[in-house]
Amino acid sequence: MAATSPEPSLSAFSTAAYTPSTTAYTPSTTTQATSSSTSTFNFPTYTSFPPFYTLQPNLTTRARQLELWSTLVTSYCAHNRIFRLSLSSLPTDLFNNTHIHRSLKPADIRTVLDHMSKPESGPRIDWVPSTTKGEQSSSCYVYWKTIGEWADALYGWVDDTGQKGAVLTVYELREGDAVRSKDWRDMDEGMLRKVLNALVKRGKAQIFGQEDNAGVKFF
Amino acid sequence: MSSTRRGVGLNAFSNAAISSEQYARHGQQLRSNHAEALANQLSVFQAALHNFSLTHAKDIRSNPNFRAEFARMCNAIGVDPLAGSNVKDIRGAGGGAGGVWAKMLGSSVNDFYFELAVRVVEVCRETRGENGGMIAVSDVQKRVAKGRSGLVGGGMDATEDDLLRAIESLQPLGGMFKVQVLGGCKFIRSVPKELNPDQAKVLEVIQILGHVTVSMLQANLDWERARAITVIDDLVADSLVWIDSQAEEPEFWSPGSMHEGG
Repeated sequence: MAATSPEPSLSAFSTAAYTPSTTAYTPSTTTQATSSSTSTFNFPTYTSFPPFYTLQPNLTTRARQLELWSTLVTSYCAHNRIFRLSLSSLPTDLFNNTHIHRSLKPADIRTVLDHMSKPESGPRIDWVPSTTKGEQSSSCYVYWKTIGEWADALYGWVDDTGQKGAVLTVYELREGDAVRSKDWRDMDEGMLRKVLNALVKRGKAQIFGQEDNAGVKFF
Repeated sequence: MSSTRRGVGLNAFSNAAISSEQYARHGQQLRSNHAEALANQLSVFQAALHNFSLTHAKDIRSNPNFRAEFARMCNAIGVDPLAGSNVKDIRGAGGGAGGVWAKMLGSSVNDFYFELAVRVVEVCRETRGENGGMIAVSDVQKRVAKGRSGLVGGGMDATEDDLLRAIESLQPLGGMFKVQVLGGCKFIRSVPKELNPDQAKVLEVIQILGHVTVSMLQANLDWERARAITVIDDLVADSLVWIDSQAEEPEFWSPGSMHEGG
């Protein structure tokens, strides 16, 4: 903490009390991978609290801070239907608040995501293994619903629509007309695979073929 | 009275003696009459108050205005609505007064304050990581009114007065919960560690300004740099303040404003 020369005059002393903004912070640009929802995300008040963007040295305070970040990231992604975060192209308003000129440092963003990837945190995110050996992962899936919950939802829909026994393509499951109103539409393919694998493990589905031509049969 | 004027001499003496005895007896009679009348009045009043609190138990619980008036009335007649709840012996004239009131007022008043005290303890525990054990009473009031997270309803509408009364009732727990005033604001301290004068002063300044820097403390409290740094380090170590390192000079904020308006 480098010292700046202190100004002894009282006029330099700010007497205005900090009054946090009570209006919802509306982002000017949005860069989401998937289509954004029609309503604006309601940023909780603590996103206007400057220290929120500094990784707290006190571990008790830090634990609470990480909890708040975890909640924010999860609800933000749920609202904007973001299934995957890429560190190189993060949404501009998630880890920054331009109104108060504060932003979470990249290293601290990683700390937050690491915290969210722990089992005791859900986990709420899952790092996508880097394609380059030895390199740190630079993107992660966000589980605003857990893989298990997605599996239940997907299978439930298949069951309700009488499609058990039929073979559906991954494309249909992700982007088909029939799933227009479903939560998992446009889900990141890698994540959808995880969901399908979970169903395979449960004995509820089987996957045929590879990559783009893969088909899934539900039992 | 004219009878005392006559009788000079020996006669007068005995007359006076007899009269004062008569007066004494008369006085005693009056006193016992009054005492009896008073006792009657009191027992009628006691019964009325008891019935009142029973029929309005719901209102006492749910309506803070009603409750405030009720408490004011109790205070006016010199009675603490919570008094005697811990008294084991509620019979007997001596120390039984409090217990008699508790019986009359019914358990509803006590229940309300004890439940409120439980909520206060819960809120303090939940927020300790964030604020180091110092939380504004107004903050507690908001959280208690909101109710327990995840549960619908169950919020308690309590005034500051109610909260302070509830905290008072926690004294038997060994002084874990104390009310401290900083910068004109009442705080509940739920950690045993007491603030030293310097720490209290800095928290007070933060309370008024929202945040401080070491320079601000030096300039306005006329402290040496080392002293200011020591106090700030202590407050950070006790998780009483949060740090903002993206300002020109590191700023130290009170967590109280973090959730305001939310």
